[in-house]
Amino acid sequence: MDFTITKREEDFRQELRAWLEENLPDGWLEGNRELPKEKDKYSEFLRNWQNTLYEGGWTAIAWPKKYGGRDATLMEEIIYHQEMVRVQAPPLVNYIGIHMVGPTLIQNGTEEQKEQYIKKILTGEQVWCQGYSEPNAGSDLAAIQSSAVRDGDRWILNGQKVWTSFGHLADRCFLLARTSHNSEKKHKGITAFLLDMNQSGVETKPIVQMDGRQEFNEVYLTDAVAYDSEIVGDVDEGWRVMIALMLHERTGIGAEMFTLEKQFNDMVEMAKEFRVNDKPLLKDPFVRQKMADFYARSRGSLLNYYRNLTNTLKRGKPGPESSIDKLLVSELTKEMAGFIMSIQGHNGVLWKEDAPVDTYWQDNFLGSFGQTIGGGTSEVQRNTIGERVLGLPKDMGR
Amino acid sequence: MDFALSEEQEMFRGYLRKYLDDAGQTKVAREFIKGEMHALKNSLAGLAELGCTGINISERYGGLGLGALDLVPVFEEIGRALLPGVYLETMALVVPLLEKYGSEEQKEKYLSEIASGSKNVTLAWAEPRKSYNPDEIACFAREEEGALVIDGMKSLVPDGELADTYLLLVRTSEGTGGDGLSLVLIDGTDDIEMRTQKCVDETKHLAEMTFREVKVSKRQLLGSINHGWSILQEGLLYLNAALSSIMVGGMEKIVEMSTEYAKIREQFGQPIGRFQAIKHRIVDMKLELETARSLSYYANWSLESEEKDRKAAIFSARAFTTEAYIRVASHNIQIHGGIGFTEEMDCQLYLKRARYFENYLGSTSHYNEQIALAMGW
Ligand SMILES: Cc1cc2nc3c(=O)[nH]c(=O)nc-3n(C[C@H](O)[C@H](O)[C@H](O)COP(=O)(O)OP(=O)(O)OC[C@H]3O[C@@H](n4cnc5c(N)ncnc54)[C@H](O)[C@@H]3O)c2cc1C
Repeated sequence: MDFTITKREEDFRQELRAWLEENLPDGWLEGNRELPKEKDKYSEFLRNWQNTLYEGGWTAIAWPKKYGGRDATLMEEIIYHQEMVRVQAPPLVNYIGIHMVGPTLIQNGTEEQKEQYIKKILTGEQVWCQGYSEPNAGSDLAAIQSSAVRDGDRWILNGQKVWTSFGHLADRCFLLARTSHNSEKKHKGITAFLLDMNQSGVETKPIVQMDGRQEFNEVYLTDAVAYDSEIVGDVDEGWRVMIALMLHERTGIGAEMFTLEKQFNDMVEMAKEFRVNDKPLLKDPFVRQKMADFYARSRGSLLNYYRNLTNTLKRGKPGPESSIDKLLVSELTKEMAGFIMSIQGHNGVLWKEDAPVDTYWQDNFLGSFGQTIGGGTSEVQRNTIGERVLGLPKDMGR
Repeated sequence: MDFALSEEQEMFRGYLRKYLDDAGQTKVAREFIKGEMHALKNSLAGLAELGCTGINISERYGGLGLGALDLVPVFEEIGRALLPGVYLETMALVVPLLEKYGSEEQKEKYLSEIASGSKNVTLAWAEPRKSYNPDEIACFAREEEGALVIDGMKSLVPDGELADTYLLLVRTSEGTGGDGLSLVLIDGTDDIEMRTQKCVDETKHLAEMTFREVKVSKRQLLGSINHGWSILQEGLLYLNAALSSIMVGGMEKIVEMSTEYAKIREQFGQPIGRFQAIKHRIVDMKLELETARSLSYYANWSLESEEKDRKAAIFSARAFTTEAYIRVASHNIQIHGGIGFTEEMDCQLYLKRARYFENYLGSTSHYNEQIALAMGW
């Protein structure tokens, strides 16, 4: 067992820190982290930030050098996430492009596709989203009904997607559509398209989330057009491509772990400052007990993540244990956020500019529900762990 | 970064597991419950032969000179087999304290015998109907011609009858908050009256000990007089880290039992493990196990690394694992249905062990408060 990091890794951290201090948007490090409200300004702000990252060589660090990455090791990626969380860097608008679509194209894409998309993903010129879920296909993703029908050298797409994160800002969508209804297995007959979002057949309608934000969308396809050149992998074989794409997301859970760690530390600070009956909340015996328990559990989750990471490093690829990390971190985040609101007492229901401490906590609480649903619900994670880690019999109907 | 036991440590675990499996796993504990000590004596001798009793003892005294992490596989396997005895107290409390604070004479006298497996030491701390609060220690030792004369009672002494020597917490002068307490090593003699106490966990034979004018040489003091409390606190770090490993071993076995049973037991024409009410509960048990294991590995690692979060790491491992062990042990019974409620199944043994550890040398709320203090809250 050895938790030390190498000199090279430490240098990497220092280099990134120095760069961030130079290049974060004005006032950011001093706590001025307001993002523009208006959609176009918001989009521009985040694209600019991504381009700044690009110019500094700090996007897609895990990609091969040949494609504009840094060939970063897994540990370097971890350090990268730690540092980004530490400074609460602006969100990566092209997260999906960088962590999923890009690596998939590098691996499975045609030369033309690489030529056309890779660079633009890096610079933020082309923002990507993922179009999987549909009104009747959520956890049961293979039930999708959106169809793509061949028409000469084109494909005509019809149907509806839902919960498409970044859909309102995206230029391209990694989209799954049904191209055949005759397969015995329902996940056969699905094809992966690199759909152009900027066409009249694609209509995006933002959905207001329970935390007041509008980050995901409904996407309507009405005779939308895609070309053969916009198919990844083979026709009817999109499921395989999609699974491979998901595996590229090798450290995303880490970012959530470090965010949880940060939230824990922020919670302690809040509990030192927030007073009830003229006493710091942290001195309340009940609060201390609960916080000590949260300490154990959040540390435990992070250490567990490190232990799985060690396995990944040794085996060279992640295993189904990553579902354990996702389940632990999302459930704990939700519970902790709920606890923080409740210890703020009756004032805890106040929101936005009236929040008793900082609306960060109320926002976190509301936002945390997205984590136990998005990317596969906690129940589906439990099925995965039960079946793939413990070897229990498969759920009925699958 | 490498967050795993080494290959040698895992290989050693393999030997141990095979050895304890061959001994019949929980069969040793069950014989012990019936009052038959033979199987336990054999197993303990076997562990000594495998080198388990010398791992963290210096080579000068016949040990292997290794560290706390090398004990982890042993503690996990002992916890898995529910092996009775005072291995925990001897190896994870007395040995590190002797190594750090023992006089040369004490080291020579005790460490080599512990290493060879011929000596067991247990801890005599609590007193009848008293808490672990230092102010409540009444057992008194007065000085008389280079000797200490001890009067008082101890209760809940882990396996008092199996031990050869006792690490006794006594009051040597008035004081509050741990001042005036001392640690004394007392070898078992007929002068000490001993009564076995019944324990819900029948794999534990607790003892009540009465001292009436029992005389020991002052050379038996561990560390200096009146400073025993702070020494004990250091020992508790080792003890709690090791205890977490024992509990992880038990939890691991429980998750295995539940998983296996859910695969073979059929109801409504299918294995019960297909029902999500069962499957998801077992997964939650698995999450508790993995979290506990990570915390306990780190706790044992931090013991010798002088990390600044050492105390918080150890206390959080202890507090989390104690509660988690109780939860998984309880779920295991439920998952087994009617048969889980029987004496015949091992499910009950683990639950009883979990409850034994729940308040062993401090409650969860006590350890939570220790976390808070260690964090500077
Ligand atoms: C913040 C956020 C961002 C998202 N971003 C995207 C995106 O960018 N692109 C995209 O395509 N999708 C996205 N999603 C959609 C997300 O993947 C789905 O919401 C999720 O997979 C669940 O599907 P559903 O909403 O249809 O719920 P349902 O599948 O209808 O589930 C409803 C309930 O039933 C339970 N359930 C369903 N099946 C089972 C089962 N087999 N066993 C036990 N319980 C079950 C679920 O756990 C849940 O509690 C996002 C969702 C959120 C919340």
